[in-house]
Amino acid sequence: MHSIDEVPPIAKSPLTCLIVDDSAFMRFHLRRMMDSFDGVIASEAANGSEAIREYGRLRPDIVLMDIVMPGMEGVETVKRICDADPKARVIMISSVSYKEKVAEAIAAGAKWFIPKPVTTEELRRAIENVLSSS
Amino acid sequence: MRLDFVRIFVDSTAKLFKELAGPTADVSSLTMRPSPVAGREVMAIIGLSGEAQGRVIFDMDLFTAVQLAGHMLGEPSPGMTPLVRSSIAELASMAIGRAISQINDNGTRLSMSPPTVITGSNLVSYDQCFETLVAPIHTVYGEVRVNITIQDLD
Repeated sequence: MHSIDEVPPIAKSPLTCLIVDDSAFMRFHLRRMMDSFDGVIASEAANGSEAIREYGRLRPDIVLMDIVMPGMEGVETVKRICDADPKARVIMISSVSYKEKVAEAIAAGAKWFIPKPVTTEELRRAIENVLSSS
Repeated sequence: MRLDFVRIFVDSTAKLFKELAGPTADVSSLTMRPSPVAGREVMAIIGLSGEAQGRVIFDMDLFTAVQLAGHMLGEPSPGMTPLVRSSIAELASMAIGRAISQINDNGTRLSMSPPTVITGSNLVSYDQCFETLVAPIHTVYGEVRVNITIQDLD
């Protein structure tokens, strides 16, 4: 896929991150990207319910959220997380990226949207933007 | 058959394969079949619903699946591991998700199911026959056939 270059820290260490995707490949891929940023501690959830539970337990600085998942899909999951914590910083990462769906995600509380396939640089830029605007 | 949608699925898939799966030849021909031709060792299936309905089946040999996944993962894989299975599912999901997005932006509501990957031999079992367009995508690791069935709701 994309090469993972060593990059400088993107924020004050440590930055905590919750990766939510039903795809083991995407969790592996995103974790590897996050690991390439110095000072990031990444956790994972494989579905919406698990994400809500882990968010409550960990209160991560950043959430990376898929949309198409079995059971509770991503937009509903974001809404529930943001209802409970309006300061939650969620970045959507999805192959489904039509305008209406992006608008739904933003309305639910997401702060950024990246269409798949995501590159390391896109992810880095998204995180920097979300961190700097909150 | 919604041929306009089929073209979007084929173009989207070919483009994504070029991005993620290494050198890929342009799709030279589409073939209409009375039912899907899928029957190789690895199949990824995605359902389509909304203002139209149907399904897309990617089918390929085990060798091709393992090599494609290895390319995506950036490391070789010893065989059909759970991570390889997930990589193939995600490849199919990204291709169809991108096409779905274009179709929705053009005004037709269409959604997709999460992908299901089935592995084994002699995987030919359909309870119904649906007219299917088959697009062969030639990668350096072997051929992936994309079987597309999509119709407007009556």
